[in-house]
Amino acid sequence: MSSDEIGMIIDEVIKGPDGKPLLLPLLYKIQEKFGYISKNTAHEIAKKTKIPFSTIYGVITFYDMLYTEPKGKHIIRICNSPSCYLNNLVTLIKFLELLLNIKSGQTTKDKKISLEIVSCLGCCDKSPAMMINDQVYGNLNEHKIKKIISRLR
Amino acid sequence: MKILRKTRFNGLRKAMQMSPEEIKEKIKKSELKGRGGSNFPTGEKIEMTMSREGVKKYIICNADEGEPGTFKDRFILKKNPLNVIEGMLIAARAINSEEGYIYLRGQYSYLKPNIEKAIQAAKKAMKKINITFNFHIIIGGGAYVCGDETAIIESIEGKRGNPRIKPPFPSRKGLFAMPTLVDNVETLANLPLIFTDKNWNDNWRLFCISGDVRKPGVYELPLGIPLKKAIQMARPKNKIKAIYFGCYGGCIPYDENLILDCEPIRKKGAMLASSLILVDETRNILDISAIISKFFEFESCGQCTPCREGNIRVLELLQKISLGKAKRKDLKLLEELCGVIGDTSLCGLGQSSVNHIMKEFKYFKNEFQEKLK
Repeated sequence: MSSDEIGMIIDEVIKGPDGKPLLLPLLYKIQEKFGYISKNTAHEIAKKTKIPFSTIYGVITFYDMLYTEPKGKHIIRICNSPSCYLNNLVTLIKFLELLLNIKSGQTTKDKKISLEIVSCLGCCDKSPAMMINDQVYGNLNEHKIKKIISRLR
Repeated sequence: MKILRKTRFNGLRKAMQMSPEEIKEKIKKSELKGRGGSNFPTGEKIEMTMSREGVKKYIICNADEGEPGTFKDRFILKKNPLNVIEGMLIAARAINSEEGYIYLRGQYSYLKPNIEKAIQAAKKAMKKINITFNFHIIIGGGAYVCGDETAIIESIEGKRGNPRIKPPFPSRKGLFAMPTLVDNVETLANLPLIFTDKNWNDNWRLFCISGDVRKPGVYELPLGIPLKKAIQMARPKNKIKAIYFGCYGGCIPYDENLILDCEPIRKKGAMLASSLILVDETRNILDISAIISKFFEFESCGQCTPCREGNIRVLELLQKISLGKAKRKDLKLLEELCGVIGDTSLCGLGQSSVNHIMKEFKYFKNEFQEKLK
Protein backbone atom coordinates (compact mmCIF):
# COMPACT_ATOMS: atom_id res chain seq x y z
CA MET A 1 0.00 0.00 0.00
CA SER A 2 1.52 3.28 -1.01
CA SER A 3 2.03 6.13 1.39
CA ASP A 4 -0.20 8.36 -0.77
CA GLU A 5 -3.08 5.90 -0.56
CA ILE A 6 -2.81 5.83 3.21
CA GLY A 7 -2.75 9.61 3.25
CA MET A 8 -5.92 9.76 1.19
CA ILE A 9 -7.72 7.35 3.50
CA ILE A 10 -6.61 9.37 6.54
CA ASP A 11 -8.11 12.50 4.97
CA GLU A 12 -11.49 10.78 4.51
CA VAL A 13 -11.84 9.44 8.04
CA ILE A 14 -13.67 11.18 10.89
CA LYS A 15 -11.38 13.10 13.26
CA GLY A 16 -11.47 13.49 17.02
CA PRO A 17 -11.32 16.90 18.78
CA ASP A 18 -7.51 16.86 18.57
CA GLY A 19 -7.71 16.67 14.77
CA LYS A 20 -6.33 13.14 14.64
CA PRO A 21 -8.33 10.42 12.87
CA LEU A 22 -10.30 7.96 14.98
CA LEU A 23 -8.38 4.72 14.77
CA LEU A 24 -11.11 2.10 14.44
CA PRO A 25 -12.73 3.57 11.31
CA LEU A 26 -9.29 4.35 9.87
CA LEU A 27 -7.94 0.85 10.41
CA TYR A 28 -11.10 -0.74 9.00
CA LYS A 29 -10.81 1.37 5.85
CA ILE A 30 -7.19 0.39 5.39
CA GLN A 31 -8.00 -3.27 6.00
CA GLU A 32 -10.86 -3.08 3.52
CA LYS A 33 -8.43 -2.01 0.83
CA PHE A 34 -5.53 -4.24 1.68
CA GLY A 35 -7.04 -7.23 3.47
CA TYR A 36 -4.89 -6.76 6.57
CA ILE A 37 -2.65 -4.20 8.26
CA SER A 38 1.02 -5.08 8.22
CA LYS A 39 3.59 -3.75 10.64
CA ASN A 40 4.98 -1.56 7.87
CA THR A 41 1.57 -0.10 7.15
CA ALA A 42 1.10 0.57 10.85
CA HIS A 43 4.45 2.41 10.89
CA GLU A 44 3.32 4.45 7.90
CA ILE A 45 0.03 5.35 9.63
CA ALA A 46 1.99 6.36 12.74
CA LYS A 47 4.23 8.65 10.72
CA LYS A 48 1.33 10.33 8.97
CA THR A 49 -1.05 10.70 11.92
CA LYS A 50 1.55 11.33 14.66
CA ILE A 51 -0.21 8.65 16.70
CA PRO A 52 2.46 6.44 18.35
CA PHE A 53 3.12 3.14 16.56
CA SER A 54 2.66 1.30 19.86
CA THR A 55 -0.88 2.68 20.19
CA ILE A 56 -1.77 1.70 16.63
CA TYR A 57 -0.29 -1.78 16.84
CA GLY A 58 -1.81 -2.24 20.29
CA VAL A 59 -5.24 -1.46 18.87
CA ILE A 60 -4.88 -3.76 15.84
CA THR A 61 -3.86 -6.69 18.00
CA PHE A 62 -6.56 -6.02 20.61
CA TYR A 63 -9.49 -6.40 18.23
CA ASP A 64 -10.22 -9.82 16.75
CA MET A 65 -11.61 -8.37 13.56
CA LEU A 66 -8.44 -6.47 12.65
CA TYR A 67 -5.63 -8.55 11.18
CA THR A 68 -1.86 -8.16 11.13
CA GLU A 69 -1.48 -10.97 8.62
CA PRO A 70 -3.18 -11.79 5.32
CA LYS A 71 -6.42 -13.76 5.58
CA GLY A 72 -8.38 -15.80 3.07
CA LYS A 73 -10.67 -14.16 0.55
CA HIS A 74 -13.62 -15.41 2.59
CA ILE A 75 -13.61 -15.43 6.36
CA ILE A 76 -15.83 -17.98 8.04
CA ARG A 77 -16.67 -17.14 11.64
CA ILE A 78 -18.42 -19.95 13.46
CA CYS A 79 -20.22 -19.06 16.67
CA ASN A 80 -19.05 -20.65 19.90
CA SER A 81 -21.82 -19.45 22.24
CA PRO A 82 -23.55 -21.78 24.72
CA SER A 83 -26.71 -21.62 22.58
CA CYS A 84 -24.84 -22.88 19.53
CA TYR A 85 -23.03 -25.41 21.67
CA LEU A 86 -26.39 -26.82 22.74
CA ASN A 87 -27.29 -27.17 19.09
CA ASN A 88 -24.63 -29.53 17.87
CA LEU A 89 -21.84 -27.01 17.34
CA VAL A 90 -18.90 -29.26 18.21
CA THR A 91 -19.73 -31.78 15.49
CA LEU A 92 -20.13 -29.00 12.95
CA ILE A 93 -16.76 -27.42 13.75
CA LYS A 94 -15.10 -30.81 13.25
CA PHE A 95 -17.01 -31.23 10.01
CA LEU A 96 -15.93 -27.80 8.75
CA GLU A 97 -12.30 -28.43 9.66
CA LEU A 98 -12.36 -31.73 7.82
CA LEU A 99 -14.12 -30.25 4.80
CA LEU A 100 -11.68 -27.35 4.49
CA ASN A 101 -8.73 -29.45 5.58
CA ILE A 102 -7.58 -26.77 8.06
CA LYS A 103 -7.84 -26.20 11.80
CA SER A 104 -9.73 -23.21 13.13
CA GLY A 105 -7.50 -20.14 13.06
CA GLN A 106 -5.93 -21.25 9.76
CA THR A 107 -6.38 -20.36 6.08
CA THR A 108 -6.69 -22.82 3.20
CA LYS A 109 -3.63 -23.29 0.97
CA ASP A 110 -5.33 -21.61 -1.98
CA LYS A 111 -5.84 -18.54 0.28
CA LYS A 112 -9.57 -18.66 -0.34
CA ILE A 113 -11.03 -19.44 3.06
CA SER A 114 -10.06 -18.65 6.66
CA LEU A 115 -11.84 -20.35 9.55
CA GLU A 116 -12.30 -18.71 12.94
CA ILE A 117 -14.13 -19.82 16.06
CA VAL A 118 -15.65 -16.68 17.60
CA SER A 119 -17.70 -15.62 20.61
CA CYS A 120 -21.45 -15.18 20.20
CA LEU A 121 -22.60 -13.81 16.83
CA GLY A 122 -25.97 -12.78 18.29
CA CYS A 123 -27.88 -15.26 16.16
CA CYS A 124 -28.97 -17.64 18.91
CA ASP A 125 -32.45 -17.75 17.38
CA LYS A 126 -30.95 -19.63 14.45
CA SER A 127 -28.20 -21.56 16.16
CA PRO A 128 -25.91 -23.13 15.24
CA ALA A 129 -24.83 -20.15 13.18
CA MET A 130 -21.84 -18.87 11.26
CA MET A 131 -20.95 -15.79 9.28
CA ILE A 132 -19.13 -15.70 5.99
CA ASN A 133 -17.83 -12.18 5.49
CA ASP A 134 -20.95 -10.06 6.19
CA GLN A 135 -23.57 -12.73 5.73
CA VAL A 136 -25.17 -14.85 8.46
CA TYR A 137 -26.01 -18.51 7.89
CA GLY A 138 -28.18 -20.10 10.55
CA ASN A 139 -29.78 -23.42 11.51
CA LEU A 140 -26.73 -25.17 10.13
CA ASN A 141 -26.29 -28.85 9.52
CA GLU A 142 -23.63 -30.79 7.63
CA HIS A 143 -25.61 -30.86 4.41
CA LYS A 144 -26.19 -27.08 4.50
CA ILE A 145 -22.55 -26.33 5.28
CA LYS A 146 -21.39 -28.50 2.38
CA LYS A 147 -23.64 -26.61 0.00
CA ILE A 148 -22.56 -23.18 1.25
CA ILE A 149 -18.86 -24.03 1.06
CA SER A 150 -19.13 -25.46 -2.45
CA ARG A 151 -20.53 -22.14 -3.59
CA LEU A 152 -17.47 -20.33 -2.19
CA ARG A 153 -15.05 -22.48 -4.15
CA MET B 1 -44.84 -5.93 19.78
CA LYS B 2 -44.84 -2.67 21.70
CA ILE B 3 -41.18 -1.93 21.06
CA LEU B 4 -41.73 -2.08 17.30
CA ARG B 5 -44.43 0.60 17.17
CA LYS B 6 -43.25 3.42 14.94
CA THR B 7 -43.49 6.83 16.58
CA ARG B 8 -42.45 8.74 13.42
CA PHE B 9 -40.77 11.56 15.37
CA ASN B 10 -43.95 12.40 17.29
CA GLY B 11 -42.08 11.65 20.50
CA LEU B 12 -39.36 14.09 19.53
CA ARG B 13 -41.93 16.73 18.54
CA LYS B 14 -43.57 16.43 21.96
CA ALA B 15 -40.18 16.63 23.66
CA MET B 16 -39.34 19.76 21.69
CA GLN B 17 -42.25 21.55 23.34
CA MET B 18 -40.80 20.77 26.75
CA SER B 19 -37.78 22.14 28.57
CA PRO B 20 -34.78 19.84 29.16
CA GLU B 21 -35.78 19.76 32.83
CA GLU B 22 -39.31 18.62 31.95
CA ILE B 23 -38.01 15.94 29.58
CA LYS B 24 -35.75 14.57 32.28
CA GLU B 25 -38.59 14.59 34.81
CA LYS B 26 -40.86 12.72 32.42
CA ILE B 27 -38.24 10.05 31.81
CA LYS B 28 -37.55 9.81 35.53
CA LYS B 29 -41.23 9.42 36.28
CA SER B 30 -41.58 6.71 33.65
CA GLU B 31 -39.09 4.65 35.70
CA LEU B 32 -37.38 3.45 32.52
CA LYS B 33 -34.38 1.33 33.43
CA GLY B 34 -31.30 0.61 31.34
CA ARG B 35 -31.77 -2.47 29.18
CA GLY B 36 -28.12 -3.20 28.63
CA GLY B 37 -28.04 -5.38 31.73
CA SER B 38 -27.44 -2.83 34.49
CA ASN B 39 -31.08 -1.95 35.13
CA PHE B 40 -29.91 1.54 36.15
CA PRO B 41 -32.64 4.23 36.05
CA THR B 42 -32.22 6.11 32.76
CA GLY B 43 -33.70 9.35 34.08
CA GLU B 44 -31.07 9.51 36.80
CA LYS B 45 -28.31 8.94 34.29
CA ILE B 46 -29.66 11.81 32.20
CA GLU B 47 -29.84 14.02 35.29
CA MET B 48 -26.22 13.27 36.14
CA THR B 49 -25.13 14.10 32.60
CA MET B 50 -27.07 17.38 32.72
CA SER B 51 -25.29 18.59 35.83
CA ARG B 52 -22.11 19.88 34.13
CA GLU B 53 -23.26 22.89 32.15
CA GLY B 54 -21.68 24.90 29.37
CA VAL B 55 -19.50 22.16 27.93
CA LYS B 56 -19.76 19.92 24.89
CA LYS B 57 -21.63 16.69 25.57
CA TYR B 58 -21.92 13.41 23.73
CA ILE B 59 -24.43 10.62 23.41
CA ILE B 60 -23.36 7.07 22.70
CA CYS B 61 -25.80 4.45 21.54
CA ASN B 62 -24.38 1.19 22.82
CA ALA B 63 -25.09 -1.30 20.04
CA ASP B 64 -22.22 -3.55 21.04
CA GLU B 65 -24.53 -6.40 21.95
CA GLY B 66 -22.16 -9.22 22.78
CA GLU B 67 -23.69 -11.12 25.66
CA PRO B 68 -24.06 -14.73 24.53
CA GLY B 69 -27.71 -15.60 24.14
CA THR B 70 -28.72 -11.98 23.53
CA PHE B 71 -29.95 -10.75 20.17
CA LYS B 72 -32.71 -8.25 20.98
CA ASP B 73 -30.72 -5.16 19.95
CA ARG B 74 -30.07 -6.77 16.58
CA PHE B 75 -33.82 -7.37 16.36
CA ILE B 76 -34.65 -3.71 17.15
CA LEU B 77 -31.99 -2.27 14.83
CA LYS B 78 -33.31 -4.43 12.03
CA LYS B 79 -37.02 -3.79 12.55
CA ASN B 80 -37.23 -0.33 14.09
CA PRO B 81 -33.97 1.64 13.90
CA LEU B 82 -35.87 4.92 13.54
CA ASN B 83 -37.08 4.81 17.15
CA VAL B 84 -33.50 4.32 18.36
CA ILE B 85 -32.37 7.41 16.43
CA GLU B 86 -35.38 9.35 17.71
CA GLY B 87 -34.52 8.24 21.24
CA MET B 88 -31.01 9.61 20.81
CA LEU B 89 -32.44 12.96 19.72
CA ILE B 90 -34.79 13.15 22.70
CA ALA B 91 -31.95 12.38 25.10
CA ALA B 92 -29.82 14.94 23.24
CA ARG B 93 -32.45 17.60 23.83
CA ALA B 94 -32.45 16.79 27.56
CA ILE B 95 -28.69 16.96 28.07
CA ASN B 96 -28.09 19.62 25.38
CA SER B 97 -25.90 17.56 23.09
CA GLU B 98 -25.31 17.97 19.38
CA GLU B 99 -23.15 14.98 18.61
CA GLY B 100 -23.61 11.27 19.04
CA TYR B 101 -21.97 7.97 18.23
CA ILE B 102 -23.63 4.69 17.43
CA TYR B 103 -21.17 1.97 18.34
CA LEU B 104 -22.25 -1.04 16.32
CA ARG B 105 -20.57 -4.35 17.08
CA GLY B 106 -18.41 -5.63 14.25
CA GLN B 107 -20.44 -8.81 13.89
CA TYR B 108 -23.54 -6.67 13.15
CA SER B 109 -21.90 -4.52 10.46
CA TYR B 110 -24.57 -5.75 8.02
CA LEU B 111 -27.05 -3.57 9.95
CA LYS B 112 -25.15 -0.38 9.11
CA PRO B 113 -27.14 0.44 5.93
CA ASN B 114 -30.34 0.10 7.94
CA ILE B 115 -29.12 2.59 10.52
CA GLU B 116 -27.82 4.98 7.88
CA LYS B 117 -31.25 4.99 6.25
CA ALA B 118 -32.83 5.85 9.61
CA ILE B 119 -30.34 8.68 10.10
CA GLN B 120 -31.23 10.09 6.67
CA ALA B 121 -34.92 10.04 7.57
CA ALA B 122 -34.11 11.69 10.89
CA LYS B 123 -32.20 14.47 9.14
CA LYS B 124 -35.31 15.38 7.15
CA ALA B 125 -37.43 15.47 10.30
CA MET B 126 -34.75 17.48 12.13
CA LYS B 127 -34.77 20.11 9.41
CA LYS B 128 -38.51 20.59 9.85
CA ILE B 129 -38.24 20.80 13.63
CA ASN B 130 -35.14 22.96 13.27
CA ILE B 131 -32.56 21.06 15.30
CA THR B 132 -29.03 20.03 14.49
CA PHE B 133 -27.34 16.82 15.56
CA ASN B 134 -24.35 14.98 14.14
CA PHE B 135 -24.50 11.18 13.96
CA HIS B 136 -21.48 8.94 13.55
CA ILE B 137 -21.47 5.18 13.24
CA ILE B 138 -18.41 3.38 14.58
CA ILE B 139 -18.04 -0.32 13.78
CA GLY B 140 -16.61 -2.23 16.72
CA GLY B 141 -13.70 -4.62 16.50
CA GLY B 142 -15.38 -7.73 17.86
CA ALA B 143 -14.43 -7.36 21.53
CA TYR B 144 -17.10 -8.31 24.09
CA VAL B 145 -15.60 -6.02 26.74
CA CYS B 146 -16.47 -2.94 24.64
CA GLY B 147 -20.08 -3.32 25.75
CA ASP B 148 -18.86 -1.82 29.05
CA GLU B 149 -19.72 1.88 29.13
CA THR B 150 -16.15 3.04 29.70
CA ALA B 151 -14.51 0.50 27.37
CA ILE B 152 -16.85 1.65 24.59
CA ILE B 153 -15.56 5.20 25.12
CA GLU B 154 -11.94 4.08 24.98
CA SER B 155 -12.70 2.15 21.81
CA ILE B 156 -14.32 5.13 20.06
CA GLU B 157 -11.35 7.28 21.07
CA GLY B 158 -9.14 4.84 19.17
CA LYS B 159 -7.67 2.86 22.02
CA ARG B 160 -7.73 -0.73 23.21
CA GLY B 161 -11.07 -1.49 24.83
CA ASN B 162 -9.82 -1.50 28.39
CA PRO B 163 -12.48 -0.40 30.91
CA ARG B 164 -11.65 2.71 32.93
CA ILE B 165 -11.53 2.95 36.67
CA LYS B 166 -14.67 4.67 37.98
CA PRO B 167 -15.17 7.38 39.18
CA PRO B 168 -15.14 9.62 37.25
CA PHE B 169 -18.28 8.28 35.62
CA PRO B 170 -18.98 8.98 31.94
CA SER B 171 -21.73 11.38 32.99
CA ARG B 172 -18.97 13.73 34.23
CA LYS B 173 -15.96 12.72 32.20
CA GLY B 174 -16.68 10.44 29.28
CA LEU B 175 -15.90 10.59 25.58
CA PHE B 176 -13.00 12.97 24.86
CA ALA B 177 -13.18 13.88 28.59
CA MET B 178 -16.64 15.43 28.17
CA PRO B 179 -19.92 14.46 29.89
CA THR B 180 -21.35 11.52 27.99
CA LEU B 181 -24.61 9.62 28.10
CA VAL B 182 -24.16 5.96 27.19
CA ASP B 183 -27.42 4.12 26.59
CA ASN B 184 -28.34 0.74 25.22
CA VAL B 185 -30.34 0.29 21.99
CA GLU B 186 -33.49 -0.99 23.69
CA THR B 187 -33.37 1.82 26.27
CA LEU B 188 -33.18 4.46 23.54
CA ALA B 189 -35.91 2.76 21.47
CA ASN B 190 -38.24 3.13 24.47
CA LEU B 191 -37.72 6.88 24.87
CA PRO B 192 -40.05 8.01 22.03
CA LEU B 193 -42.71 5.58 23.28
CA ILE B 194 -42.67 7.21 26.70
CA PHE B 195 -43.61 10.51 25.07
CA THR B 196 -46.31 9.11 22.76
CA ASP B 197 -47.99 6.35 24.74
CA LYS B 198 -49.80 7.22 27.97
CA ASN B 199 -49.94 3.57 28.96
CA TRP B 200 -46.24 2.91 28.54
CA ASN B 201 -44.63 1.19 31.49
CA ASP B 202 -41.24 -0.23 32.28
CA ASN B 203 -42.54 -3.75 32.85
CA TRP B 204 -42.50 -4.87 29.25
CA ARG B 205 -39.11 -6.23 28.33
CA LEU B 206 -37.55 -8.12 25.50
CA PHE B 207 -36.28 -11.59 26.37
CA CYS B 208 -34.11 -13.71 24.15
CA ILE B 209 -34.83 -17.38 24.73
CA SER B 210 -32.48 -19.93 23.22
CA GLY B 211 -30.72 -23.22 23.90
CA ASP B 212 -32.56 -26.52 24.20
CA VAL B 213 -35.80 -25.22 22.73
CA ARG B 214 -37.71 -25.69 19.49
CA LYS B 215 -38.77 -22.05 19.11
CA PRO B 216 -35.86 -19.80 20.07
CA GLY B 217 -36.44 -16.08 19.55
CA VAL B 218 -37.17 -12.63 20.94
CA TYR B 219 -40.21 -12.54 23.20
CA GLU B 220 -41.74 -9.36 24.60
CA LEU B 221 -43.06 -10.20 28.05
CA PRO B 222 -44.09 -8.28 31.15
CA LEU B 223 -42.06 -8.79 34.31
CA GLY B 224 -44.00 -10.66 36.95
CA ILE B 225 -45.37 -13.50 34.86
CA PRO B 226 -44.58 -17.10 35.83
CA LEU B 227 -41.23 -18.18 34.41
CA LYS B 228 -42.94 -21.39 33.34
CA LYS B 229 -45.17 -19.48 30.96
CA ALA B 230 -42.23 -17.77 29.27
CA ILE B 231 -40.36 -21.01 28.88
CA GLN B 232 -43.30 -22.91 27.47
CA MET B 233 -43.62 -20.33 24.71
CA ALA B 234 -40.21 -21.35 23.41
CA ARG B 235 -41.23 -25.04 23.45
CA PRO B 236 -38.48 -26.90 25.35
CA LYS B 237 -37.24 -30.11 23.76
CA ASN B 238 -36.99 -31.97 27.09
CA LYS B 239 -37.45 -31.28 30.78
CA ILE B 240 -35.45 -28.12 31.59
CA LYS B 241 -32.70 -28.51 34.18
CA ALA B 242 -31.10 -25.08 34.40
CA ILE B 243 -31.45 -21.55 33.10
CA TYR B 244 -28.38 -19.50 32.27
CA PHE B 245 -28.82 -15.73 32.15
CA GLY B 246 -26.30 -15.19 29.42
CA CYS B 247 -22.70 -15.89 30.39
CA TYR B 248 -22.36 -13.17 33.01
CA GLY B 249 -25.69 -13.57 34.83
CA GLY B 250 -25.06 -16.95 36.41
CA CYS B 251 -27.53 -19.81 36.47
CA ILE B 252 -30.35 -21.25 38.54
CA PRO B 253 -32.02 -24.64 38.58
CA TYR B 254 -35.37 -24.52 36.83
CA ASP B 255 -38.18 -24.11 39.32
CA GLU B 256 -41.76 -24.15 38.06
CA ASN B 257 -42.93 -21.72 40.71
CA LEU B 258 -40.43 -19.00 39.98
CA ILE B 259 -41.55 -15.57 38.75
CA LEU B 260 -39.87 -13.84 35.81
CA ASP B 261 -38.62 -10.72 37.58
CA CYS B 262 -35.30 -9.29 38.71
CA GLU B 263 -35.87 -9.66 42.45
CA PRO B 264 -36.87 -13.35 42.72
CA ILE B 265 -34.03 -14.30 40.41
CA ARG B 266 -31.55 -12.14 42.32
CA LYS B 267 -32.64 -13.95 45.50
CA LYS B 268 -31.54 -17.18 43.83
CA GLY B 269 -28.17 -15.57 43.15
CA ALA B 270 -28.47 -14.84 39.43
CA MET B 271 -28.95 -11.66 37.42
CA LEU B 272 -31.87 -11.31 35.05
CA ALA B 273 -31.12 -9.24 31.97
CA SER B 274 -32.58 -10.37 28.67
CA SER B 275 -30.89 -13.64 27.90
CA LEU B 276 -32.41 -16.95 28.93
CA ILE B 277 -30.40 -19.95 27.77
CA LEU B 278 -32.30 -23.09 28.62
CA VAL B 279 -30.37 -26.25 29.39
CA ASP B 280 -32.24 -29.52 29.61
CA GLU B 281 -31.77 -32.72 31.56
CA THR B 282 -29.77 -34.44 28.86
CA ARG B 283 -26.86 -32.04 29.53
CA ASN B 284 -23.92 -32.10 31.84
CA ILE B 285 -23.44 -28.81 33.70
CA LEU B 286 -19.67 -29.21 33.58
CA ASP B 287 -19.71 -28.97 29.78
CA ILE B 288 -21.70 -25.75 29.86
CA SER B 289 -19.41 -24.39 32.56
CA ALA B 290 -16.34 -25.03 30.41
CA ILE B 291 -17.91 -23.34 27.36
CA ILE B 292 -18.71 -20.23 29.41
CA SER B 293 -15.28 -20.11 31.05
CA LYS B 294 -13.68 -20.47 27.63
CA PHE B 295 -15.68 -17.43 26.57
CA PHE B 296 -14.39 -15.29 29.45
CA GLU B 297 -10.84 -16.55 29.10
CA PHE B 298 -10.99 -15.50 25.43
CA GLU B 299 -12.74 -12.17 25.98
CA SER B 300 -10.78 -10.93 29.00
CA CYS B 301 -9.18 -7.66 27.92
CA GLY B 302 -6.00 -8.53 29.79
CA GLN B 303 -5.78 -5.30 31.74
CA CYS B 304 -6.00 -6.75 35.27
CA THR B 305 -4.29 -9.89 36.50
CA PRO B 306 -7.14 -11.65 38.36
CA CYS B 307 -9.32 -11.79 35.27
CA ARG B 308 -6.57 -12.39 32.70
CA GLU B 309 -4.62 -15.09 34.53
CA GLY B 310 -7.42 -16.32 36.77
CA ASN B 311 -9.69 -17.31 33.95
CA ILE B 312 -6.92 -19.31 32.27
CA ARG B 313 -6.49 -21.30 35.50
CA VAL B 314 -10.24 -21.69 35.94
CA LEU B 315 -10.50 -23.20 32.49
CA GLU B 316 -7.58 -25.55 33.19
CA LEU B 317 -9.19 -26.75 36.40
CA LEU B 318 -12.56 -27.29 34.72
CA GLN B 319 -10.90 -29.34 32.01
CA LYS B 320 -9.04 -31.34 34.62
CA ILE B 321 -12.33 -32.09 36.37
CA SER B 322 -14.02 -33.00 33.08
CA LEU B 323 -11.27 -35.48 32.28
CA GLY B 324 -11.72 -37.14 35.66
CA LYS B 325 -8.20 -36.20 36.75
CA ALA B 326 -9.10 -33.79 39.54
CA LYS B 327 -9.01 -34.42 43.26
CA ARG B 328 -11.01 -32.89 46.05
CA LYS B 329 -8.36 -30.21 46.62
CA ASP B 330 -8.69 -29.06 42.98
CA LEU B 331 -12.35 -28.38 43.54
CA LYS B 332 -11.47 -26.36 46.62
CA LEU B 333 -8.83 -24.45 44.69
CA LEU B 334 -11.36 -23.67 41.95
CA GLU B 335 -13.81 -22.34 44.51
CA GLU B 336 -11.18 -20.15 46.12
CA LEU B 337 -9.91 -18.89 42.78
CA CYS B 338 -13.43 -17.93 41.72
CA GLY B 339 -13.84 -15.96 44.94
CA VAL B 340 -10.63 -14.03 44.29
CA ILE B 341 -11.47 -13.30 40.65
CA GLY B 342 -14.95 -12.11 41.59
CA ASP B 343 -13.67 -9.89 44.40
CA THR B 344 -10.60 -8.35 42.84
CA SER B 345 -11.21 -7.94 39.10
CA LEU B 346 -11.33 -4.38 37.84
CA CYS B 347 -14.52 -4.32 35.79
CA GLY B 348 -17.89 -5.98 35.49
CA LEU B 349 -16.61 -8.54 33.00
CA GLY B 350 -13.97 -9.90 35.35
CA GLN B 351 -16.17 -9.73 38.43
CA SER B 352 -18.97 -11.65 36.78
CA SER B 353 -16.79 -14.08 34.85
CA VAL B 354 -17.02 -16.63 37.65
CA ASN B 355 -20.64 -16.00 38.54
CA HIS B 356 -21.78 -19.09 36.72
CA ILE B 357 -19.31 -21.37 38.53
CA MET B 358 -20.34 -20.08 41.95
CA LYS B 359 -23.96 -20.87 41.10
CA GLU B 360 -23.09 -24.22 39.55
CA PHE B 361 -21.32 -25.05 42.82
CA LYS B 362 -24.35 -23.97 44.77
CA TYR B 363 -26.92 -25.90 42.77
CA PHE B 364 -25.13 -28.62 40.85
CA LYS B 365 -22.06 -29.44 42.93
CA ASN B 366 -22.77 -33.16 42.72
CA GLU B 367 -22.03 -33.08 38.99
CA PHE B 368 -18.54 -31.78 39.81
CA GLN B 369 -18.01 -34.21 42.70
CA GLU B 370 -19.02 -37.24 40.64
CA LYS B 371 -16.08 -36.57 38.37
CA LEU B 372 -13.44 -36.51 41.13
CA LYS B 373 -10.73 -39.17 41.35
